[in-house]
Amino acid sequence: MELVICIGSSCHLKGSRQVVERLRQLIEEANLMDKVALSGTFCMGNCQKGISVTLDGKLFSLSPENVDGFFEDEVLARG
Amino acid sequence: MNNLCADIGYRSINKHGEQLCGDHVEVIEGENNDIIMVLADGLGSGVKANILSTLTAKIISTMMSKGLTVEDCVATVAATLPVCSVREVAYSTFTIICIRNNQQAEIIQYDNPPVILLRDGHNVEIPFTEMMIDGKKITRSRIDLRENDTFIAMSDGCIYAGLGRDMNFGWERKDIISYMEVFFEVGFTAKTLNTILLDECMKLYGGQPGDDTTACTIRIRAREPMNMLLGPPANRDDDNRMMALFFSKEGKHIVCGGTTSTLAARYLGKPLVPLLEFPDPDIPPIAKLEGVDLVTEGVVTINKVLVYARDYLAGNESYVEWSYKQDGASRIARLLFEEATDINFYVGKAVNPAHQNPDLPINFNIKMRLVSELSECLTKMGKRIKVSYF
Repeated sequence: MELVICIGSSCHLKGSRQVVERLRQLIEEANLMDKVALSGTFCMGNCQKGISVTLDGKLFSLSPENVDGFFEDEVLARG
Repeated sequence: MNNLCADIGYRSINKHGEQLCGDHVEVIEGENNDIIMVLADGLGSGVKANILSTLTAKIISTMMSKGLTVEDCVATVAATLPVCSVREVAYSTFTIICIRNNQQAEIIQYDNPPVILLRDGHNVEIPFTEMMIDGKKITRSRIDLRENDTFIAMSDGCIYAGLGRDMNFGWERKDIISYMEVFFEVGFTAKTLNTILLDECMKLYGGQPGDDTTACTIRIRAREPMNMLLGPPANRDDDNRMMALFFSKEGKHIVCGGTTSTLAARYLGKPLVPLLEFPDPDIPPIAKLEGVDLVTEGVVTINKVLVYARDYLAGNESYVEWSYKQDGASRIARLLFEEATDINFYVGKAVNPAHQNPDLPINFNIKMRLVSELSECLTKMGKRIKVSYF
């Protein structure tokens, strides 16, 4: 799975660092290190709805609060 | 004309309890690329000394820059300075270092501690001739410049540091030389070397300087061009023109901003790989792009660079942060403040609609303000700045 997180100005200010760190933690806990490739990108052109994250090309809007729910519903479901 | 330039840093510390400094440093550019530095130390301390040293430094630097002789300068100073009612003399010692066309230094000294020259990391005593002007013994030297020559001019507050406290005779000139020789090889900027010297003086005084203490460091270095790209052009048709101009320039290349770096990657035909690492939690990660020396995020990073730049011009206290950290802002700070001498900014005036959100501190006006304030700070650091808008 390709999980790409926006680290542009706007998403950074909304907390993309916390999202990156939490996702890293969750991936490790679920032992999915070799299944999920976590990477960053600059602006996806979706700043208003940031924090922008794509999972295998599908766009999601996250916040530090809903990372856990997203991981459970989307990432784990596909794993 | 050669490839050298003078990197100059100076600072004064006031005598304990004084609001004004009795030392004054004046640096101005004269004709033919000449740079004139005058360090004056007024008699006594406080307001009288401040007036004497300011007048002396201003008169000498202005006159020298117009090509007048040192005899004329001294005569004018002697005729102009107000006479102290208590001591019945008008008096300010001075050191003049005149860098002529980046090829030769002319050093004229009157009663300040002799200028130190570190060449290839070692002290070189500068040969001088003596002359008498108005009963004052003034020394004059001429020396051809080499890359990395470092001159240190001081007021006597430096050599009296620690006098009768930590040291019987103060921190003598030879002690300052051996102390500064240690730092030579590192390649510090003039400003940093100067800060290192004054911090040590302050320490030896136990935080309570017994005299006004001033140093000015001049380091002769090779010019180093640097280019910085920030923001996409207002008109999308200018993308290629802007990139072509930017990448054709000599020197290192820094690209700031997400959209901007995407454009640069497209122009170069290379992949842009953001690194998901946060050496500083407040600064967005940097990215890798072949052909570019540094890729960072835009406004948040530059804002931090501006904070560092302002501090560099003031107390230089955050040097301990940006001098080694690996985040985008610290890297830019090192490239711009330490490495570069000539900086070309390529600023795109495109408005990112997503940033025009009152909740976000990153709108278009802020970007333009950041650029003008940063280039103002860099000019004060002695850099040559050129800003082109697209």
